[in-house]
Amino acid sequence: MEPDEWVEVTSLRDLERRRRRLVVVGGEQIGLFLVGGTVYALRDVCVHKGRSLAKGTILHGRVICPGHQWAFDPASGRPDGQEGCQPTYRVRVEDGAVYVDPRPRLPVGEGNR
Amino acid sequence: MIGSVIVVGAGQTAAVAARTLRRLGFDGEVLLVGEEHLPPYQRPPLSKDYLAGEESAEALGLLSEEWCAGNGVGLRLGTRVVAVRGPERAVELAGGEVLRADALLIATGGRPRRLPGVEGERVRYLRTLADADRLRADLRPGTRVIVVGAGFVGSEVASTARALGAEVTVIERAALPLAHVLGERMGEVCAALQRAAGVDLRTGETVREYTETGRGAAVLTGSGRVVEGDVVVVGVGMVPNVEPLAGSGVELDDGVVVDEYCRTRVEGVYAAGDVARHYHPLTGRRVRVEHFDHASGHGMAAAKNILGRRAPYTAPHWFWSDQFDRALQYAGHAEEWDEIVVRGRTDEFDFVAFYLCGGVLRAAFGMDRGGEIAVARQLIASRARPDPAALRDEDTDLTDLL
Repeated sequence: MEPDEWVEVTSLRDLERRRRRLVVVGGEQIGLFLVGGTVYALRDVCVHKGRSLAKGTILHGRVICPGHQWAFDPASGRPDGQEGCQPTYRVRVEDGAVYVDPRPRLPVGEGNR
Repeated sequence: MIGSVIVVGAGQTAAVAARTLRRLGFDGEVLLVGEEHLPPYQRPPLSKDYLAGEESAEALGLLSEEWCAGNGVGLRLGTRVVAVRGPERAVELAGGEVLRADALLIATGGRPRRLPGVEGERVRYLRTLADADRLRADLRPGTRVIVVGAGFVGSEVASTARALGAEVTVIERAALPLAHVLGERMGEVCAALQRAAGVDLRTGETVREYTETGRGAAVLTGSGRVVEGDVVVVGVGMVPNVEPLAGSGVELDDGVVVDEYCRTRVEGVYAAGDVARHYHPLTGRRVRVEHFDHASGHGMAAAKNILGRRAPYTAPHWFWSDQFDRALQYAGHAEEWDEIVVRGRTDEFDFVAFYLCGGVLRAAFGMDRGGEIAVARQLIASRARPDPAALRDEDTDLTDLL
């Protein structure tokens, strides 16, 4: 991947305080989540009914959607017990700054649902 | 060890129970007897996406006939059970046939309560897929829809009808919608939500007289006003389907009475879902709950208990309702409270209201705050006594209170 795809979006300190945050990068709405000390990035618009995941909650290592409580694994984007997958993004933390690669990663074998 | 299970009913609870029995390795006979002609399907979208034409009937399916065939689960559809013989663990079908099993699960659900005097070609009730198909054909831009009852079904139909461009008048007997569940303060928020969406909400009103002409329907209300419309949707609650249980030996009290293990007082006869008035340890009372998540969880618990695993049903109840572009959610159960603590903005329909009784969190109701409701549900399960100031403070992460 090209190194210039990394976009600085926030500070780790900010996420430590808020744990979740919506950022917009290159037209992509991306939800950032601090889960167990690791920063994850998911497409903010829930695959189920389009609610904002950044308005949700982190509970037991899962990102919980405010719409209907779909619970996503923040690393894979897979919802527990449901079909489909939330696109994820690569994240890098360096010197207290959080960088995101705004090109969504689609899971292997997943077509456009 | 039991060798056969008959589930009376073929809805959400029945489907989840059947799937759970197989998942837990039960290899005996499983038979679902359902009155509708369709294999089990989800009902929540019938007043929402499906009614709006945004979801297909196929997407609602819970157990396909292929799955049932592959897993040895029998489906007797379009079949009415006329009597349950408790001690024999037998069911009698409409044609006279009698089926026996080692365990019976009563999951007959319920049907819409009828409003006396409201009869005619333009009257609709909503419970089944067929009901939804019929109502869907009525909802077009400019259709004048009269909804009787501002409960969850009525409010969701009103919302979907508005989204489809219909004119909607809601007639509600109580002073506020949903106040019997949520209290007056949140009832006011729900009323504001409906009115903001352009619903003509008439509270404190009853249907005194209903008439139909070739051109339309007319409701004369308790206060003497006339509301005219093209179609009338009645959503005034549900009646549990207990008729086949008369004389069965099980205790009936607005539903089938069961303990926290889904057991009736007749050995080997269980009940779950909408029809079951179940003892819930969190409230110390018997409650009957008519919601999707309960139908699933209770069906799962029943299957476990039928197989001899002592699995008390203890999770706080939880339900959602999609209305007017907001996701309403409720967790727990509170019939009384001393304080409601609000986090967020009710005037922006973006909040959670926490119901505290003696300092203990009993219930939570929110709009577009499902994540926080999930946390609240855990606080409710642990009978937590959260600091009201922390609940109110948006900078406090609720998970810190767990």
